Amino acid sequence: MKTQVTFTQKLWYVTILMVAVFAFNPMYGQSTSSSQKGKIIKGTVSDLKGPLEGANIILKGENQGTVTNAKGEFKFPVALETGDVLVISFLGYESIEYRIKTDTTFVKAVLSDEVIEFMGAVNTNKRYKSKKRKN
Amino acid sequence: MRIFLIHIYLFVFVFQSYAQISDFQQISFEKADEIVLKYKDETLHNLPDLVYKLTSELDTDAERFRAIFKWVCSSIANDYKLYNRNKRKRLRYKNDSVRLNEWNTKFQKIVFRKLLKDRTTICTGYAYLVKELANLADIECEMVHGYARTSTMNIETLDTPNHSWNAVKLNGKWYLCDPTWASGIPNPETYRFQFDFNSGFFLSDPKIFAVNHHPLDKKWFLLEGATPSFQAFLDAPIIYGKAYTYFSDHSYPQKLNNEVQKNKSFNFKLQLQKEIEKEDVNLVIESSFRERKIYPDQISIQDQSLSIDYKFEFSGYYDVHLYIKDDLISTYTIEVTR
Repeated sequence: MKTQVTFTQKLWYVTILMVAVFAFNPMYGQSTSSSQKGKIIKGTVSDLKGPLEGANIILKGENQGTVTNAKGEFKFPVALETGDVLVISFLGYESIEYRIKTDTTFVKAVLSDEVIEFMGAVNTNKRYKSKKRKN
Repeated sequence: MRIFLIHIYLFVFVFQSYAQISDFQQISFEKADEIVLKYKDETLHNLPDLVYKLTSELDTDAERFRAIFKWVCSSIANDYKLYNRNKRKRLRYKNDSVRLNEWNTKFQKIVFRKLLKDRTTICTGYAYLVKELANLADIECEMVHGYARTSTMNIETLDTPNHSWNAVKLNGKWYLCDPTWASGIPNPETYRFQFDFNSGFFLSDPKIFAVNHHPLDKKWFLLEGATPSFQAFLDAPIIYGKAYTYFSDHSYPQKLNNEVQKNKSFNFKLQLQKEIEKEDVNLVIESSFRERKIYPDQISIQDQSLSIDYKFEFSGYYDVHLYIKDDLISTYTIEVTR
């Protein structure tokens, strides 16, 4: 015997299907976010003499970052994942890159002075005057 | 056959071309320059953020580097007092490496504090900042140290490195630039630093660059084949900032001090990087008694090469200055003999 599928039944199937989709969708979303375990990273930045205030910490390749306080401490504003790279920099110091590992919760960065010999030649538009000609 | 021809083409036209600004003729730096203007008053307290502001809206590394370079050149002032202080100390401790090192360490702290607080610096500070910012934008960039010559420098005492500039890698090729000299020059009256961006020092042709820049490490000449000797550098004519905006090379004369017989023609030859009118070329000839401005009639412009022939009618000792319109290009001394 051939079953007749009425329009009302069709409507029911569609409704159930849609309910199912909507019902499972949030769950699906939850499962993804829980698989990427983001964590808030804290840390300190110092040089050989002590904490550095105003050092920059950024997530490599993104415009996410923060600055250390007077005690050289920072708390990174977004959750980080294993494998993310923090770039820690401060004017006059060599920048360092820090890769977040599975067990990283705290970053302790010690920056070393950039060794630069400073010099400078000033350019000028002043016309050259030969010494010989003056005599 | 076609592949063979393409190889020949590549070899002739691509591999022989020096790295310079003309490689980027198709790129307009207008957008980068506008961004620089917009963020002119930013501070150096957050370098990554500054780099993001300067570069995130730009599509190519060349434009991104332009924004960084021009920002540094138009936001950081040259501190002549600091420069003189360093020069004096470096001269005093020239033969005392311990004291010199002590001074360098101390001075480094002063420089970075000044840079952060007042946004003023000296050459190495410019070069350092360009490098740091470029690196933060993932652009390969190095500081180059060496000797530089200007019209007011006493070359007899030029025995220690006195200048720093940058080399930058764009599309796999290295280029030269000098942020200190691109930023400005002293005001002719007050002698105080004045911002005056000179784009001639941005991705300059290595040939003209070598006329008054002599790197400690030869590889930074970026020249193929033989590089100029230190003596050739000391003997070279004086060229000024504007030379970099008109010319890609200075071919002749190769020395500052020259000699010629009277009524024999003396030749000047420079390679152009943009079109000029013959009528704009003039020489200012200075003798002990007077100064004359002349428009030589023997001028030729062929294949981007400017050649001037001039005959001195009277013997004597002259300072000869080459100008394009009112722009001072170069200086030579010429002794005209009987």
